[in-house]
Amino acid sequence: MTVLPDLLAGLEFSTLPQQLVNGILLGAIYALIALGYTMVYGVLKLINFAHGEVFMLGAYTALFTSWSFGFTQAGNRQDSSPGILIAMLIVSMTVCGFVGVLIERFAYRPMRSQPRIASLITAIGISLLLQYGGQLFLPSSPPPSISDKVNPFKGNIEIPLKPADSALLAQAEQLKAKVTSTKASYDEQLKSEKDSFNLSPVGKELRTASQDAERDYRNAIDKANKDALVITLPQGQVIMLVTTVVLMIILTWLVMKTTAGRAMRAASLDFDAASLMGINVNTVIAFTFFIGSALAGAGAMMNASFLGGTKIDTFFGMLPGVKAFVAAVLGGIGNIPGAVLGGILMGLAETMVIWAGYGNYKDAIAFIVLIVVLLVKPGGLLGSNKVEKV
Amino acid sequence: MKFWGVRLASILGAVAFCFLLEGVAQGQSSFVQRLFVLAGLYVTLAVSLNLINGITGQFSIGHAAFYQVGAYTAGFCASRFFAQLNLPPAAWLLLMMVTSAITAGLAGLLVGLPSLRLKGDYLAIVTLGFGEIIRIFAQNQEALGGAYGLTVAPKIQYVWAAWLLAILCIAVCRNLLRTAHGLPFLAVREDEIASSAMGVNVTQTKVVAFVLGSMFAGAAGAILAHFESFVSPPMFTMDVSFTIVTMVVLGGTGSITGSVLAAILLFYLPEKMRDFTNIPLAGVAAAFVAISAAVFAIRWVMQNFHGSAKDRAIRYLGIVVGALVIWFISKAILGNVPSLKENIDGSKLRMVVFSVTLVVLMLLRPQGMLGHHEFSWDWVRSKFGKPTVKEATA
Repeated sequence: MTVLPDLLAGLEFSTLPQQLVNGILLGAIYALIALGYTMVYGVLKLINFAHGEVFMLGAYTALFTSWSFGFTQAGNRQDSSPGILIAMLIVSMTVCGFVGVLIERFAYRPMRSQPRIASLITAIGISLLLQYGGQLFLPSSPPPSISDKVNPFKGNIEIPLKPADSALLAQAEQLKAKVTSTKASYDEQLKSEKDSFNLSPVGKELRTASQDAERDYRNAIDKANKDALVITLPQGQVIMLVTTVVLMIILTWLVMKTTAGRAMRAASLDFDAASLMGINVNTVIAFTFFIGSALAGAGAMMNASFLGGTKIDTFFGMLPGVKAFVAAVLGGIGNIPGAVLGGILMGLAETMVIWAGYGNYKDAIAFIVLIVVLLVKPGGLLGSNKVEKV
Repeated sequence: MKFWGVRLASILGAVAFCFLLEGVAQGQSSFVQRLFVLAGLYVTLAVSLNLINGITGQFSIGHAAFYQVGAYTAGFCASRFFAQLNLPPAAWLLLMMVTSAITAGLAGLLVGLPSLRLKGDYLAIVTLGFGEIIRIFAQNQEALGGAYGLTVAPKIQYVWAAWLLAILCIAVCRNLLRTAHGLPFLAVREDEIASSAMGVNVTQTKVVAFVLGSMFAGAAGAILAHFESFVSPPMFTMDVSFTIVTMVVLGGTGSITGSVLAAILLFYLPEKMRDFTNIPLAGVAAAFVAISAAVFAIRWVMQNFHGSAKDRAIRYLGIVVGALVIWFISKAILGNVPSLKENIDGSKLRMVVFSVTLVVLMLLRPQGMLGHHEFSWDWVRSKFGKPTVKEATA
């Protein structure tokens, strides 16, 4: 059992809280995408493989919107405002919503009477078509990214969890005094020797002394800083998290309180009975696709514009899509709170893998989680295990 | 006696066919030889995936994983043992095919045992995930060459080996379907619960199909590794898996003949498209418009009109002509859009063609080109107006 101590030895626990927060921020994006998967699955029992590509199109829409506001390489606009960000968000959500509805109308609806595997193959086909067809028509090489000038919120919010050890700080303070004194005497010596070409032995000694003092001080302050626990939150990511939470609250209201939401829940409970009760299932499905895709669009817009320098290409949505799908399965596919929980857990799992020093495997962890979930609790964390009936 | 006579003749015919291909390929350029070998490998991959997807009905979309396991096994062994064993290349290649088949089969068992309890779309995504895990794993192992890949020491470029494997794979699948051993596979595809009630061991059947399919993919990987004398993770991305799935679906899930035809067609078509450079982008966009219009027109006709074969033929001809007209008109209109004035290379269209094929096929003919039908000499006889064997003996 030497593996575990070895593993633990490589970990730096002082960075853990920061990584946990990063994981939650990442997980919020996964949760937004996972909601789309889970809602569509709930109603149609179909894995919408093209959902990741809707996410990709959302990022492109945000890019084009930012270009239309003048944030191009050539336009080089400097000032931004929250209004522009909100406009980008709304345009992305609307475009993605309609793309989702179109995909449903023209690719999935004709497949509804076919076996489920046929819809799955169609979904894979649509996903590949958007990836590779998009390559022909969308700017993808070199991959563009949304100008970071779009985001006016540049600062960091720092949350101190634990102040630095006072003894260490005092030590650093003392060393600082020493730094100033040695520096002063060295400067004095320099001034007196202004005319000579080389430093005299005394001057050299003073110089090393001042350099040593400086180094000691820096080591001490580093040690003191390492002892302190501060979580750094970029403002943009905080806005991202807040927007996500707001969108989820709206979604909850939409699903739980409105007529359309009730129809959606009815259709996901029993498709045929819902249509017999006078619910127009086609409208419900189109509505579900619109909402799910709009959420993916919101996620894409925030991902592409708040995380500076995110490169957008036509495969932008593939990995987030797959990870969000895993998140949906983890939470229990078809279950809306489950998707949020699963998304957050996926984000945490990914940052934990990076934190543990296995960053190369961060894309594999999603699939490992998926396989484990399906084997241990196929219904997901919040889902119910259904017994197959003849 | 007649049975063994036919059997012997088939085996000799198959071997003769392989060496005939070898003879044809010898005189050609190395590019053409490569086409011959890769076509054989894709036939193997498609037929072996058809055993899993089509015949047993377990939708797996991660076949490239087993291909990769086979290729890396061969690459790994070649760098360590080839010099010591001092075998002739042909014998070494056969040995590697067997070794790779075994390791890929073990990998298939590893994936199959737990995941085959899952159904349909879940199984699909687990197999996809397994393919990615294998690839990322190989990418991060120094012993396997990491992201740069492995150089495989002896370069063995036999066309016959690829096709012999393909024919072996076809023969195994065909014979499986013709005998009592194959019936459980079909039963599981049609109805798991009913077949388990009839005494079929559902899990065992699925795992056997999975392992068998993986073994053939592994053997194909061994040939690939020695042919290219190089293996690297980007050779086994999701694209490869999706290509194989497209072949199986296009050919008709369950039809071996269909898989073979679709594999050759879908392999040859993109290679041919490489010859076309400077395809105007407006033309491609217009083709999207025309194809969509034609697909929905055909669906509409299929649903709303029923008539004699002649009537249908006339309607479909009309739709094709209409689609061409739409193509010309929209090409002329889209030609004015500034961003569509570029020209692209045919090689970029490879996966686009695959994806359009998948979607159009699902919309118009979900059972694929051949459905569950197979090629048979009886069918050829009936085409020439001769009685089939069954009719003759009856």
